[in-house]
Amino acid sequence: MTKRLLVLLVLCLVAVSFVYAADEKVEIKFLHRWTQYMDYFEEVVKEFEEANPNIDVQMQAISNDPFKEKIKIVLGTDEAPDVFFTWPGEFTNRFIRAGKVLDITPYLEEDGWLETYIPSQIEPFIYEGAYYGAPFRLDGKAFYYNKVLFEEAGIEKAPETFDEFIEACQKLEAIGVTPIAFGNIRPWAVSHFIGTLNQKMVTDETRFTDLDPAKGTWTDPGYVTALEKYVEMIPYFNDFSNALSHDEARATFFNGDAAMMYLEIVETPDLEEFASDEVKENWGAFVFPAIPEGKGDQDYLTGYPEGFVVSGTTNHPEEAVEFLKFLTGKEAGKLEVNMLGWINGIKNVVGPEDNVSQGVLDTVALVLNAEEMVNWLDSSLHAKVWDAYSTQLQMLTDGFTTPEKVMEAVRKAADEVRKEFE
Amino acid sequence: MRKNKIYFIYIIPALVFIIVFVYVPIVQNFYFSMFKMNSYTDEWTFVGLNHYLNIVKDPIFYTALKNNTLYAVFSIIFQVGFGLFLAILIDSKFVGKRLKVVFRNIYFLPSLISITAVALMFYFIYNPNIGMLNGFLDLLGLSEWKTAWLANPNTAIYSVIAMSQWQYTGYIMVLLLVAIQKIPRDLYEAAEIDGATEFQKAFYITIPGIKGMLVATSIITVIGSFKLFTEIYVTTGGGPYNTTQVLGTYMYRSAFLFDEMGYGSAVAVIIFIITFVTSLIQIKLSKKRNKG
Amino acid sequence: MQKKSMKFYINKTWINVLLWILVAIVIYPLFWIFINSLKTNTDLFVNTFNIPTDPLFSNYVDAWNMGLSGYFLNSIIVGVISILATITIGAFCAYGLSRLQSKWKMMIYYLIIGGLLLSPQSALISLYRILESLNIYNTYLAMILPYIAFRLPFAIFLMHTYFMDFPKELEDSALIDGCNTFTTFTKIVLPISKPILSAISIMTAIFVWNEFLFAMVFLEDSGLYTIPIGLYNFKDALATNWTALLAGIIIATIPIIVLFLFMSKSFIRGLTEGSVKG
Repeated sequence: MTKRLLVLLVLCLVAVSFVYAADEKVEIKFLHRWTQYMDYFEEVVKEFEEANPNIDVQMQAISNDPFKEKIKIVLGTDEAPDVFFTWPGEFTNRFIRAGKVLDITPYLEEDGWLETYIPSQIEPFIYEGAYYGAPFRLDGKAFYYNKVLFEEAGIEKAPETFDEFIEACQKLEAIGVTPIAFGNIRPWAVSHFIGTLNQKMVTDETRFTDLDPAKGTWTDPGYVTALEKYVEMIPYFNDFSNALSHDEARATFFNGDAAMMYLEIVETPDLEEFASDEVKENWGAFVFPAIPEGKGDQDYLTGYPEGFVVSGTTNHPEEAVEFLKFLTGKEAGKLEVNMLGWINGIKNVVGPEDNVSQGVLDTVALVLNAEEMVNWLDSSLHAKVWDAYSTQLQMLTDGFTTPEKVMEAVRKAADEVRKEFE
Repeated sequence: MRKNKIYFIYIIPALVFIIVFVYVPIVQNFYFSMFKMNSYTDEWTFVGLNHYLNIVKDPIFYTALKNNTLYAVFSIIFQVGFGLFLAILIDSKFVGKRLKVVFRNIYFLPSLISITAVALMFYFIYNPNIGMLNGFLDLLGLSEWKTAWLANPNTAIYSVIAMSQWQYTGYIMVLLLVAIQKIPRDLYEAAEIDGATEFQKAFYITIPGIKGMLVATSIITVIGSFKLFTEIYVTTGGGPYNTTQVLGTYMYRSAFLFDEMGYGSAVAVIIFIITFVTSLIQIKLSKKRNKG
Repeated sequence: MQKKSMKFYINKTWINVLLWILVAIVIYPLFWIFINSLKTNTDLFVNTFNIPTDPLFSNYVDAWNMGLSGYFLNSIIVGVISILATITIGAFCAYGLSRLQSKWKMMIYYLIIGGLLLSPQSALISLYRILESLNIYNTYLAMILPYIAFRLPFAIFLMHTYFMDFPKELEDSALIDGCNTFTTFTKIVLPISKPILSAISIMTAIFVWNEFLFAMVFLEDSGLYTIPIGLYNFKDALATNWTALLAGIIIATIPIIVLFLFMSKSFIRGLTEGSVKG
């Protein structure tokens, strides 16, 4: 009996190892973060493999939050994916510094590949003068609002300044409507607010210096003022904002139970699919209102493209780059627009024959027409600085700390991080 | 004596497994804890005992330690204490023979459910807007007690502790019940003849009679309290603002969220020391019991 | 006599009432999840206590198809292999150890039992590197091998005690008849050890059923996820489809409950045998 058991065991182990037998084709490992949209990526992979029969793409998806943790683990192994998803900014930069991302400048400069991209969408992928990735999806942040509720509250037009915005919130509260839906259980949500506020309050020079982990000091009083503005908004959030996920809070906006929500323009297709009929027909979007006393440029828009990079340790750079090109190119872009309602970084990717709603086009226009884009705060920061910032921000949202104390903690973390770069 | 060779061959595979996958990693951990390193670069810097010094200075470490201890205390009171009370009740003459089995099986059920499933269940139960708990409070007219149980720093850790008591009290109760059922019945009969009350019987016969199992279950719950990870990770992730961190999540966070694998290794060493010492105590205590 | 009866019935009442209340506390949350798993997401927001009039069984189909089937399969594969390997390797080792006559015996025994004192968490970071260098990171083996290694000490401890108590006469007569140790072990000792083997199987199964940390760190491919990590991943994948997620929770819970209700005696025996020793 035991002999048979042993044989069975050996057979099992052998069978398992067979699954990983080598192939003759070139195998590319591809990692992305959209577990909900596998059909789209499977289609892209299929078309790429048909056009490139000697390349076999092994695709994997890890959802958003686990992805942020796992990518670090995965890049440390020999199994690092050849092409993987990333957020430009410090999130990617630390991998570039560790040699885990391929410099694709020479490839881009060939055959005019670089020129196919919209400049504002490919530039975020530059680090110290070289290109390290390509844009997959352009994105920006705006306040989506319910026109019906606004009318009921007596708000005549979308607010353009911060004071007008707070006034609007007060009017909404007066008629018993939750002014702002907000779900911050994952603090990337608050990072979008604070990133916008910071950019509006301090000069570009200060901002860029502070975002650099080797130089950041975070001493400008503008950061504290930015938090004070945020504190003004807090009373108008729904209850339990730190306990709700972004999706949970968003559902209340889509149901017409909340008047506004700060959303990414890539969420427009979700609105058009999930919102109630009343919201679907009566929504609008306005950019984050201006703060005249802020030192930053009030016409910038918060938002940055997400994209893909090639591994710095890949064994098949040529094939990986080919896949990257296809993944972020026009063909895949057309598929992306029609299947998901997202616009990629290719110039003029949308044509009259494409099935895209006016809502998507309008919100995308906000990005294309923006004077300049501002990266998401959480992907711009060193992990330790973001941890201090995000923990404090959640406490601030619940009323357990003050703007001054938040910045104190951020400064302390930034000081420790600077030491690592000396 | 020739047979010895064969016996050695039987032993070797197990030894190899244990040495390679258990001992080597733990020893390596001590080594790693003296370096600054992360998962995706090959640069290591020697820092000696620096990590340990930083751990001792970190308030979150103490929060974690406090949470593990809180967990242990509550678990002993509930799982062992209340579990014992339930076991005595069920074993008593007040519960019918068939009902005994029914109650035993039902209370045991939660311990069979996968931890992640229980954690997700309670994540929904504790949800502030649509959760079962807040819903009940509304129905009972206690709406002002409603809160975001897992996101409120005052209630978060206790909510997770409560979840574990729901899951494991039945398990511990069954262990105690089985031990109680091994106590010879004539002891009870003799006591009854002497006019002992139920309470006296429980106190003077039952409890001493299962002393071994009481010690064993106490130690199981204490050691389990220091090995916590999944329960916290899936429900609160260590939040709100690090108030529910435990040693396991603290280690994971340092190693994999902050790219500080050396620091994480140092925390792992501390977890190792704590669980090692408590396990050692258990073995010593159970040896003592076997002898006496 | 009258007084005694009265007291008896009072006690009987409150005790049974208490016990049934506790039953409700145990069962109701599961029931609540169940009724909500049959609702649409909009209904979920309306009222979570009413029973759905139009049960949405498709939620269960969705949950199954969106990955739960894979998670089950993986838990079974990993579980079965781990159990078989642990029992095989462990039984041989325990037997060899119990019959060994050498000065090394005690040292080896303590070395193996020492494994009981070491917590898997402490090994996490180094194991990750070891598995990576052995090139089995992100494979079934990445879970199976550490699982076996961490369950062996306990299995060997239990079986060793059992074998030590085993009457030697049966073995001796077999050996005289010309059987070698292998046959003696497999044909005589093992069959009688069924209770302890089933106890170890159950404990290992429960371990695999619950193990989260290793599965989370050592696996990257969602196609390999076992139930614990799979369900957690589900939480994100079904971020907007809560009722399907609830259905997934029920699916992950039901099989083992059903299994238990049929085999409660063996389960409990197995667990108590195991837990008494630690």
